[in-house]
Amino acid sequence: MSGGSTPGQYRNEAARTIREEPQVRDSVTKATLTFDAHRVEAFAQIDSERWRDWARDVKTHLLTHLDKYLEEAEAQLIANGAKVHWAETAEDALEILAGIVREHGIKSAVKAKSMLSEELRVNPHLEKLGVDVRETDLGEYILQLLGEPPSHIVGPAIHKSLEDCRELFHERLGTPVNAEPDELAAAAREALRKDFLAADLGISGGNFMAADTGTIALIENEGNIRLSTSLPRVHVAFVGIEKLVPTLTDVAGFVQLTSRAATGQPVGNYVSLIQGPKKADEPDGPEEVHVVLVDNGRTKLLADDEAWEALRCVRCGACLNICPVYRQTGGHAYGWTYSGPIGAIIAPGILGLEESMPLPHASSLCGACADVCPVRIPIPDLLVHWREKAVTAGLAPKSETLGLKAYSALAQRPKLFNTAGAIMRRAPLELGGRALPILSGWVLERAAPEPSAKSFMQMWEEGIV
Amino acid sequence: MKVSLFATCLANQFYADACADTVRLLRHLGVEVDVPKAQTCCGQPAYNAGRRAEACDMARHTATVFSDSGYIVLPSGSCVGMMRSHYPDLLSEDETVPDLVGRTFELSQFLVRVMGVTKLGKGLEGQQIAYHHSCHALRELGVRDEPLALLRGCGAEVVPWEADEECCGFGGLFSAKLPETSAAMADRKLDTLPEVDVLTSTDGGCLMQMSGRASRRSVGPPFKHLASLLWEGVGT
Amino acid sequence: MSARDRILGRVREALAERKQEAHPGPFGGWRSEGEDTPAVDRFIQLFEAAGGEVVRFDDDAVAAAWVRDFVSKYDAVSMGRLARWPTAVGAESPELVLKSADPADSDVGVSLAYGAVAETGSLIMTPQDGRRAQLLPPVHVVWVEEKMIFPMLYQALSTLGKDLPSAVGLHSGPSKSADIGQILVKGVHGPGRLIAVLLADKKNST
Repeated sequence: MSGGSTPGQYRNEAARTIREEPQVRDSVTKATLTFDAHRVEAFAQIDSERWRDWARDVKTHLLTHLDKYLEEAEAQLIANGAKVHWAETAEDALEILAGIVREHGIKSAVKAKSMLSEELRVNPHLEKLGVDVRETDLGEYILQLLGEPPSHIVGPAIHKSLEDCRELFHERLGTPVNAEPDELAAAAREALRKDFLAADLGISGGNFMAADTGTIALIENEGNIRLSTSLPRVHVAFVGIEKLVPTLTDVAGFVQLTSRAATGQPVGNYVSLIQGPKKADEPDGPEEVHVVLVDNGRTKLLADDEAWEALRCVRCGACLNICPVYRQTGGHAYGWTYSGPIGAIIAPGILGLEESMPLPHASSLCGACADVCPVRIPIPDLLVHWREKAVTAGLAPKSETLGLKAYSALAQRPKLFNTAGAIMRRAPLELGGRALPILSGWVLERAAPEPSAKSFMQMWEEGIV
Repeated sequence: MKVSLFATCLANQFYADACADTVRLLRHLGVEVDVPKAQTCCGQPAYNAGRRAEACDMARHTATVFSDSGYIVLPSGSCVGMMRSHYPDLLSEDETVPDLVGRTFELSQFLVRVMGVTKLGKGLEGQQIAYHHSCHALRELGVRDEPLALLRGCGAEVVPWEADEECCGFGGLFSAKLPETSAAMADRKLDTLPEVDVLTSTDGGCLMQMSGRASRRSVGPPFKHLASLLWEGVGT
Repeated sequence: MSARDRILGRVREALAERKQEAHPGPFGGWRSEGEDTPAVDRFIQLFEAAGGEVVRFDDDAVAAAWVRDFVSKYDAVSMGRLARWPTAVGAESPELVLKSADPADSDVGVSLAYGAVAETGSLIMTPQDGRRAQLLPPVHVVWVEEKMIFPMLYQALSTLGKDLPSAVGLHSGPSKSADIGQILVKGVHGPGRLIAVLLADKKNST
């Protein structure tokens, strides 16, 4: 799990981060506000509502015909000379990777940033197999040096400040204490250059996969994905089964929409469209390309009549950038690979409902995420959906169950409701905290609210109004 | 014109004066106001907690209480949002519900869109006001310009505030279940707030959250419910 | 039953009761306002905004001379195979032959683009030219024929899709990153300088 934490630790981890690491909140706030401002600008240049409708509809079509498109993609990839594997679970995916490592005697690997590879926990497995694995995305490289997991889907190290990076690079790469950002970047480039040139294996994820041409599309800004998928003799791509789109021309729409939503760019600086291994008339490129199609709970999500809409996700991070809850802590507090609004709605499918709690509750249901999602996932509705499932599964805290059942019973009996209200008013929250334990959390951080001298219904009854 | 007031469970207990000011304001504009006695709670706390059965029960009760009403006005955006967004689904067997929720309005929404009123008086002249957009009013109801028009119509200056549309961290039970995160969200609001005479919003929950945090930290301006501020704006 | 069969089986089961939805039709890159700028100008606008550099020529020989002059300032040059077109630069420049080096050791790489995309400000790089020459040297010079600038990305992909190589790269500017404290830096892994040499469409040039 992320940094040793789990979703179940969310409250403690969030509280600890806010209390002990205020610079994380500052860094994350600054980064997410910047990303979101860029998104707004980029969306204003296009008919964004139409783009979002189109993308939602393409992904919906894809998901409702997913078996057909998976078969088509597989056939095309094989025709392109790629090898296709199917992994039901994370363990299966790692086993497939181990097979490739052994077959080719892989000693070193370079990795493109891939959230799926984090989800599957590829790096620890490769290390166990004796493979030296290097993260090549600058943000992921920084985190690998620190031994930390990513905290954001697009900008993995946004919780780190310039000062943090200066300190780290000075210690590990010998850069000057007050090095400018471009000096730090140059040091990373030099260090990683050797790794790119020496690696036997390149590992990537896949942003999209076109079924009609068997194309894996990868979006980036640095060039490390182009290098990781071009230099080593073997390339392994992990692709979630939901990442498909019907055609290569559909990919055109998705790479542009995702780039605009994620960073505000018309398109990411580099887009790789990969069909398979190098062809006879090409001077370089990988000799083998393996595509691992991964389920790992996605079919479970697909089977859920409401939550399947979460599979439209294009991993742009826009929901993280707008989320006022995410902004306070960054991603580590969520205790899993995917954080923020999207993390909370896919976790129950991939991790299981009980393991995901309380993430579906780590939201005030403000609705900002639904406003920005490029594929119109109804995130707040899905959060409530999972909360309902948790209640049915008996996972709601007992005090909450009893409290709300009692409240509902009273609310259907106006006279009792008003009497209970009168009692509550005379026992302010400090005291009421014992009678209403679900409200005791209030006074930990805020002054208890003062009830009005008389309730409005009382004022009305007495003819005061 | 006749209106039924739904005070809402939170405002009834903690912002009773705002409910009273809502009545006074409507009467001042020539509207006859009644208050169905059996009103209790719209069911949002249960709905948001995933307790659909309890939410249905409370929704059914509320729909029944207001079944004979014409317009229904609430001093709360979140409760109207609950009714409009979720009652048709929760009470799908009741064909009268879509019409009922179509007649249900948050106060500023009602004044501007139904009554066509934006100039109430001059009672807020010279005041610098910060307006907090409650999430449900803004995103579920699309209420954004109405409160601003009303406040300016009373002579107030609504001051720019970078975080004005960000969630304050109330979220009902969220504020008590995840209090540290909730408080950090309130801090974001308070720390970006410019110097103002008063902070206002359509929703008592938001005001309670921000004023409670402000009070704990000994910061912040006075907090007033929009209904009370607008009644002040009438200036009589 | 293989993993494949089990996964496909679960997919079919999940979709058994679900309403199938139709594909909405091709992507149209719809804008809020009309876009009247000619494709080449639009390409230049976006490419330069992303930090790319552009030089334009009506005459191939003049363009070739410019490239020869540009690369002569560097110690080691890596020519993509196709960049030998239009021959003026490659075989007839003994000094460049002497400077020719493996991309990993080169200061500048020269390639021929398949084309470009105006809508996104992207160069379309195909692998027949050699991927390493397009990625490893810190400076990258790319020939682009203006007549191969597609207005929209989906048009480019539609054309490419008929005969795809192993990999296509869309390069839309110099390599960049904002991972260090949200500050933009260039040349992180890919070339820190990307120069597009645009060769005018002779049919349409005056």
